[in-house]
Amino acid sequence: MISDPFIKTENLTRIYSSGTIKVTAIKDVTLSLDQGQFFGITGASGSGKSTLMNLLAGLDRPSSGSIRVQGKLISELDKDELALYRRYQVGMIFQSFNLVSSYTALENVAFPLLFAGVTKKERNKRAEQMLEKVGLYPRKDHRPSELSGGEQQRTAIARALINHPKILLADEPTGNLDSKTSRQIVQTLSDLNTKQGITVIMISHEEFLLDEFADDIIHLQDGKVIQEERIR
Amino acid sequence: MRISDYIEQSFSNLWKKKLRTILTIFGVMIGIGALVSMFSFGQGIQDNITNTFNELQLFNYVSVYPRSENNQRIPHSEDPNSPEQVNSHSQILDDAFIQYVTEIEGVESAFPEVRFPAMVRFDEEEKFSLVQVLPADICQSGLMKLRAGQPYTPEDANALIISDSLLRRMKVKEPETVIGQQIEISTLTVDFSLSNIPNIVTFLRGKGLPFSRESYQFTIVGVTEKMGFAGPMPARSDVFIMPAESENMKKLSLTSIWDLFQSSQQAKGYSMVNIKVASTKYIEAVKEKMEDRGFRTFALVDHLEEIKTGFIFLNMFLFAVGMIAITVAALGIINTMVMSILERYKEIGIMKAVGASDGDVKKIFLFESGAIGFLGGVLGLALGWLVSMLINQIINYFMVKQGAPHMDYFSFRWWLCMGAILFSILISLGAGIYPTMRAARVDPVVALRHD
Repeated sequence: MISDPFIKTENLTRIYSSGTIKVTAIKDVTLSLDQGQFFGITGASGSGKSTLMNLLAGLDRPSSGSIRVQGKLISELDKDELALYRRYQVGMIFQSFNLVSSYTALENVAFPLLFAGVTKKERNKRAEQMLEKVGLYPRKDHRPSELSGGEQQRTAIARALINHPKILLADEPTGNLDSKTSRQIVQTLSDLNTKQGITVIMISHEEFLLDEFADDIIHLQDGKVIQEERIR
Repeated sequence: MRISDYIEQSFSNLWKKKLRTILTIFGVMIGIGALVSMFSFGQGIQDNITNTFNELQLFNYVSVYPRSENNQRIPHSEDPNSPEQVNSHSQILDDAFIQYVTEIEGVESAFPEVRFPAMVRFDEEEKFSLVQVLPADICQSGLMKLRAGQPYTPEDANALIISDSLLRRMKVKEPETVIGQQIEISTLTVDFSLSNIPNIVTFLRGKGLPFSRESYQFTIVGVTEKMGFAGPMPARSDVFIMPAESENMKKLSLTSIWDLFQSSQQAKGYSMVNIKVASTKYIEAVKEKMEDRGFRTFALVDHLEEIKTGFIFLNMFLFAVGMIAITVAALGIINTMVMSILERYKEIGIMKAVGASDGDVKKIFLFESGAIGFLGGVLGLALGWLVSMLINQIINYFMVKQGAPHMDYFSFRWWLCMGAILFSILISLGAGIYPTMRAARVDPVVALRHD
């Protein structure tokens, strides 16, 4: 018997309904990912990329179908279990960084540890180490508005990694960055993938970046997988 | 999340929106301040009245009056002899009656209410006052609260106790300084004897009453604290002397101008006799005996329940007024918290994305409302205390001017202070429930959707 894939979705469907109108964001998406993969998702706007990402992150629930991570049925977890899944299993980064604007870089990175019940001293120590890793230690007391786009995204990466997740979900991480910085950020994600074995799932419509760094790429259109390609 | 983190987070989040937080806290502060000062006022009045009553053993007194004075004054037309009938022998409050009363079980002493007008002269100042005759044992019983000196004893000759308010009217500020000093009491007598002919002549000419003055020297042995309220009290004058001295004084035994017209037709006897019993359990039996003999009685203890009910109503009224202020403050908290949640919509999304449970989010915002309540409660308590002290000073300034003693009209008990802060926190938590639910319901997918 073949062992379960690291992440497996089956017939994943998400239908949004507002009033009588029903919009199918993704339909019958079946995927399987191995641990340590760099997985790329691409597609036009409204193709359902972000919906898929939110389902994988445990922020949203499928209308039908299932998600398993390491054999565990994520789509059936209750709210509190999902919170724990988000806290310890996945890290997320976003196009718009989603840093808390009133917090310093250090506080933003330490934020997830607050919910993990880590002491303040330990939180700060771990957040400083994490900022050091992404090369932002000297900027730790700056607020997001005082940081460049690249610096903000690196802060967000540090935050995503603070609880040592196995999966890193990146939703258009380069969408607000210039091409040079974009490359640096994706390089950072790639390094995390290769050196630390973190499974990276990245949405991007910049296909050349995915072509360069991803192991597998899927193309979504109207909520369906229209193409799967294995790069390496 | 740790409790210490919740507390730290809530205060630092509130501090980020200083003006809004301060305004909201200010609302709570006013509400709690109003509630606290009102409660402490209710409590203060209660303390002043019931505690003073207890201290002075006023609940151990029964006052006895002749029945229905009106009947004596206005005889029924059909029965012109009724005054005589009413004033049958058994209904006269005389010394024999007092003797009889003191032998009743439980009665410690009985003394007639004797008061007469006099001029009091001390240190160049002369004031009109009513002098009350009060036996030494009653004086020693704790009925009078002394600010200085001692109660008089039967061995003291010409001893006198004066109230601090009369002293103040006579421009004496330090009651201690008058102890042992001489004071002059001048009684007025209506004297139609030959020696007083000049006065009678002036009276007949319409130039004054035929009064003559008799002066007596007394030594001040004590200064009493006058009560801040009037009422049916056994001791209610500004000057007290012992019966022995009183008997030797020429005086008009009247307390009002009406007595002047009545005295001739009324049978001899005291207008009132005060009976002091050893404990309140004797009150009923004594009252019954007196009423059987055809007297009217008054015992303050009978009105205790009424007094208590009165305080409950007073407190309820004050509570209602305070609650209005609190309700307004609670609406302020709801408003502030809803605003805060709308502003931090994205932040709540981030919290959830990084692993906060709905419970964590709820607690973060509940702690914030609680912090508003705590700060509002503490500051409100301080405000209430400050305002109360100020009002107390103002009331006392005017009351003392009028001769009333200095009194604390507000009473701050530890349970009131603790209760106020706790109540403030509870109200704020209550006000935080709806905003908190909203915060927990924030959909992170919507909150984090990039614009």
